[in-house]
Amino acid sequence: MLLLLQVLANGALLGGLYALMALGLALVWGVLNIVNLAHGAFIMLGAYVCYYLFTLAHMDPFAALPVAMLLLFCLGYALQRGVLNLIIRAPMFNTLLITFGFEVVITFLAQIVFSADFRAINPDYAGANVTLTGVTVPLVRLAAFAVALGLTAALSLLLNRTRVGRAIRACAQDLVAARLHGVEPRHIYALTFGLGAALAGAAGGLYGIVSQINPYIGGALTAKSFAICIIGGLENPFGVVVGGLFLGIVESLTSVYVGATYADVASFGILVLVLIVRPTGLLGRTT
Amino acid sequence: MTPLLEVHHLTKFFEGLAAVSDISFDVGTGEILGLIGPNGAGKTTVVSLISGTLMPNDGELMFRQRPIGGLSPFQRARLGIGRTFQIMRPFPGLSVLDNVAVGALFGAGSERRGLARARGEAAHWLQFVGLEHRAQQRADELGGPDRKRLELAKALAMRPRLLLLDEVMAGLTNAEVNDVVALIRRVRDSGVSILVIEHVMHAIKSLSDRLLVLHHGQKIAEGAPDHVLSDPRVVEAYLGRRRT
Amino acid sequence: MKRLAAWGAAAVAAMALALVPCIGSPTLVQFGISTLLLATLAQAWNIIGGFAGYASFGNSVFYGLGSYGTAIAMLRMGWPFGVGLALGAALAVVFAVAIGMPVLRLRGHYFAIATLALAEVMIAIVSNLDIAGRNIGLVLPLLRGDTMFYELSLGLLVLTTLTVLWLSGSRLGFGLIAIRESEDAAAVVGVNTTAYKVCAFALAAFFSALAGGIHAYWITFIDPASAFDISLNVKMIIMAVFGGPGSILGPVIGALLLASISELLATEVSTAASLFFGFIIVIAVVFMPRGLADVARRLPQLRWRYFGDNVRTHRL
Repeated sequence: MLLLLQVLANGALLGGLYALMALGLALVWGVLNIVNLAHGAFIMLGAYVCYYLFTLAHMDPFAALPVAMLLLFCLGYALQRGVLNLIIRAPMFNTLLITFGFEVVITFLAQIVFSADFRAINPDYAGANVTLTGVTVPLVRLAAFAVALGLTAALSLLLNRTRVGRAIRACAQDLVAARLHGVEPRHIYALTFGLGAALAGAAGGLYGIVSQINPYIGGALTAKSFAICIIGGLENPFGVVVGGLFLGIVESLTSVYVGATYADVASFGILVLVLIVRPTGLLGRTT
Repeated sequence: MTPLLEVHHLTKFFEGLAAVSDISFDVGTGEILGLIGPNGAGKTTVVSLISGTLMPNDGELMFRQRPIGGLSPFQRARLGIGRTFQIMRPFPGLSVLDNVAVGALFGAGSERRGLARARGEAAHWLQFVGLEHRAQQRADELGGPDRKRLELAKALAMRPRLLLLDEVMAGLTNAEVNDVVALIRRVRDSGVSILVIEHVMHAIKSLSDRLLVLHHGQKIAEGAPDHVLSDPRVVEAYLGRRRT
Repeated sequence: MKRLAAWGAAAVAAMALALVPCIGSPTLVQFGISTLLLATLAQAWNIIGGFAGYASFGNSVFYGLGSYGTAIAMLRMGWPFGVGLALGAALAVVFAVAIGMPVLRLRGHYFAIATLALAEVMIAIVSNLDIAGRNIGLVLPLLRGDTMFYELSLGLLVLTTLTVLWLSGSRLGFGLIAIRESEDAAAVVGVNTTAYKVCAFALAAFFSALAGGIHAYWITFIDPASAFDISLNVKMIIMAVFGGPGSILGPVIGALLLASISELLATEVSTAASLFFGFIIVIAVVFMPRGLADVARRLPQLRWRYFGDNVRTHRL
């Protein structure tokens, strides 16, 4: 019983981080209808930014998160404004290819600059645990979970309570009408993509604290993020939270009770099932 | 004379709202039946239920005395039910000729037709609707009235026995409307039964053998055009209750 | 007349390619085998992605099934290569039909993701199967003589291309194009969309599996990650799209061209091949989204405006 609680706790903490990872992808997908195959690469970059700020500038990794977010935001903005805006009205499949192109280039450059060695961000407090009712919770993971949920809530607030958020939602719903109301879509689109990249960067920084990184982690993380978006549904940001928690817990349970090598079977198997049975996701509306 | 299409107690709900409620009527061979009613009366829903795009919650459909309720859209198309869409759906990247050729290639009784023959038939239908001069243009380059002609040619190339026309005259000038009316008459004369949804009153009145009026998903009148159009319930449906 | 000339050129090219093992170095022949198999994958993808418009990101599944089917038949059952190939192909086709029915109901992004997820699931499942050698993989019997594999690969490519040629003039092919252009309109006009899509998927699976089987026997070693290599998916898609999706020779030319240039760069600037691919994708998708085939078709009147127009119609 205690084992079950521990496994569930691990899964939930993992799930929170997963949710943050998928959040950026969901935002860009929902608003711009772009499925960003380079999303995992952004996460990877965020992780490396935090890593180098930690090892070279001795910055606390949590404090380095905003820096990573800012840098990734700029990158995302530039890519959208410079390249993606050029093909946004082409068949969706073209954006898949182009973002894949980004992924290839970014991964390649990362491997040249950062080398392919595994790295990890290990602050002094990395080993600290807190024990609640017999369940051991690593402090860093708890903090990461809190940051993840905090950013999710912040995004929700941004989208619903600010002018910029309203402009973004307007563009998502009706581009022509948005233009008529003075919204400049080129800028808003770039802003949205930048936001998505920033969120990915934050997730990357947190990921670097709880796990090892190298230039090639992008692909699998993109795939996981898809799975979460689909499982949770794209209707509202909390779908991503649900999807992330669900996936985290399933992976945790599968790893312990079935076998570590089956964790991937479980996640992707569920993804396929959800796509076949309920493509709009657990929280989505069936039209 | 046995009717071509029999509709019995057709009902369709959308999220609890009855779009179509207990509708029954027939379409005879070689007949033009006009379907009218205010916006939102359920006319397009009826057509979608007949063509198979939508499945009814209740009711029966018989085509040539055979039940077709369980058939998918393409199966009904093969049996001889053709339709046009209100919001037109051409094959955008294909030429006008090839658009119609698809209809010829897959419509009723088409198993033996090859591509070359289908293109030949397509050319014939383009001439019939007056679009032969645009045969090689891309379908998405066509303007409004030409798109409607293309929709019609595509449906005709399927060799339907029953043609369902959904507002083919919307947005046309008077002269264009008269052209379309003449075209539809020629189609009927070639042996096709037609169910027409239309808002252009003078056109549908002169075209139809009989009229059917829908309001809030229910049939409120049926019969000869003059008779139906002077029915007080029909007038009320369109214009509202008279304040005396 | 122009078409006849094009076909004549293609036939001559095919015969020239067949002669490569006689005059080329062993490295060239090896490069040739890989490229011809990739071209087959691109052409097979063309059937489901180019003609039917369903961009599958998971055809590597069929390639892998072909590899494993062949390997298992030869290793565990002791059957000859030909039977192994047939088994692999049958496996892939059955899988395509079984999984195709539910998955082909999805459209756009969802279909792409579903196929990608299938590819990932397959890797994970096969890694846990004993008959497939789990994570360690399988070692096939060795057959010396790259020439045989080269001619076999060339033959497969020719077969696949001839199938696509047949498709482009057939009822099935026309129906697939109609589905790509407007699926709902196609259904209402009498196209059995479900059957046609599954058929296209099965055809793509068939040829992809054969390519996988040949590759497995040639390379003599397969494991889940390499047999179901996910990166193959994007390679085949880029080659097909760069060459011209929905055309007959486009994917072949795209594959040959991209592979050649990538190989050239690889020898000059080692790993820059990936970088090159990345840039090519971006440039090609932005400036010539309909591929080389479309550029070739317009060659007499081609102007710089063509590329600019592509951007103008698709930009925000």
